[in-house]
Amino acid sequence: MSDRRVLAALTARRVRELEDGGAHAFVDWSEAALLAQAGAPVSPAGGALAGETVAVKDNICDLTFHTTCCSRILEGYRSPFEATAVRRLRAVGALVAGKTNCDEFGMGSSTEFSCHGPTLNPFDAARVPGGSSGGSAAAVASGAVSMALGSETGGSVRHPAAFCGVVGIKPTYGRVSRYGLVAFGSSLDQIGTFGRDVASAARLLAAISGRDPLDATSLDRHPLPPPGPAPASLAGTVIGIPREYFGEGLHPGVAAGMRRAMDRFRDLGAELRDVSLPHTKYAVPTYYIVAPAEASSNLARYDGVRYGRRVAEGAADVRALYGASRGTGFGPEVRRRILLGTYVLSAGFYEAYYGKAQRARERIRADFKAVFASGVHALFTPTTPTPAFKLGENLGDPVAMYLSDIYVCTANLAGVPALSLPIGRDQGLPLGGQLIGPMEGEAEIVRIAQALERVVGGAEEVR
Amino acid sequence: MAVTREQIQHIAALAELAVDATAAAELERQLTRILDYVRQLEELDTGGTRVADERAAPLRKDEVVADRLDRPVSDFGAAMRQGLFVVPRLGELGGGEEEP
Repeated sequence: MSDRRVLAALTARRVRELEDGGAHAFVDWSEAALLAQAGAPVSPAGGALAGETVAVKDNICDLTFHTTCCSRILEGYRSPFEATAVRRLRAVGALVAGKTNCDEFGMGSSTEFSCHGPTLNPFDAARVPGGSSGGSAAAVASGAVSMALGSETGGSVRHPAAFCGVVGIKPTYGRVSRYGLVAFGSSLDQIGTFGRDVASAARLLAAISGRDPLDATSLDRHPLPPPGPAPASLAGTVIGIPREYFGEGLHPGVAAGMRRAMDRFRDLGAELRDVSLPHTKYAVPTYYIVAPAEASSNLARYDGVRYGRRVAEGAADVRALYGASRGTGFGPEVRRRILLGTYVLSAGFYEAYYGKAQRARERIRADFKAVFASGVHALFTPTTPTPAFKLGENLGDPVAMYLSDIYVCTANLAGVPALSLPIGRDQGLPLGGQLIGPMEGEAEIVRIAQALERVVGGAEEVR
Repeated sequence: MAVTREQIQHIAALAELAVDATAAAELERQLTRILDYVRQLEELDTGGTRVADERAAPLRKDEVVADRLDRPVSDFGAAMRQGLFVVPRLGELGGGEEEP
């Protein structure tokens, strides 16, 4: 049996064990599909991801598995094309283990808004894995796969990475092709990567990055180089600590974890500098206008005729068919965001909401630009205000759920790269620290994260 | 400012989304809460802020290229006839004969 077939069989066993245990991280996978990939011819030179298995979020198109965005409206859908990111990781030797659970169309912060039911947090089955890419984070945290792809519109890679104790990277907008990523908020969406350590997540990012003519918003840049070794010192590195990320609502366990991590940065020789991003408090309100507005437009195509499951029973005309197909095909959070987006774009409200939010977004971008122009190499913040919350805890209050994104959605609005890495635990639950870099500053935040990881220990065994 | 039932029905119609009475009541409450929250943007003075996308998209050649499909188009329809997908007739909703 070849090494690739052994890896495929071993991965299948791990995924089966994970799913038999009730984790519900995967929504489509099979041993046969893994073995078929392992049997396909590979370049004699191997590849940058040879020996790696990658799980793929269910809103990223591939040719082997279904792509449903965890939505009833795309039940049974198989994509006629493969996302550029998936094509690239397969070209360098990775095996795709299967598709992972997520909030429907990426809308949520807990993976509870999936038509397949929630994924459970690998550290505490009574808690959420974060979201929306919760299945990918749980798959990596459990050790079923070595890496995973997720997607971000407002923190959906970094948030579950923090809740599941793994590393998650959101690259600069345009760094990774969006071709084959099902659109949610097109000015915000980016594919991101998960790994059990910083180098793994960065290697996967390097493999999928680079210009793609199939995505008009793709940056005209060469692929990122793979990460170097972890530096032993951060002397000469200035890390900004934005005071707005340490205010009201920050869980004491998270605050304590951040203080410990900041001490480690000082031990490494970094200079910590108090900085301000004064428009941070407007990020969540801005995000929850811009993202639903874009979603209401992007999701208009799912009407039972152009795309999506058709519900025609009792429909007297085609408009009733659209309404019934969309009304029953979308889940509660997607319906809520489509209606919110339609409201803020409707006549009489457009300028007050959408126009205002666009200008607020410029202010948020300008905050980041100013702080990086002042000589700060990266910003260090908590990834989430709390450790993983309990299943059902925020389902009744959308605003409480949205506030879970308060520290992560700023990077999506500004387009800058950011990553989350484990910085220890509070009462057994993982804590995430976030490094945010300037535009195209992935290599710098990866370097700083590798140095911190070396002294705090990185991802830990789940059990 | 509360979102009214009439506004919910209006935006649901714009969004082509069937919303029943129970869901409409819940949405009234939830959208009111969300909009109350996002309205804190009103306190931000954004006068003089120009919205400009600095990321100039790279241009590509003006050319027509074939659809990029990794499997034959016939894989994606329940049935095909004379090179066309067979789909239900929209004029006979709820159980008409399938015609190309």
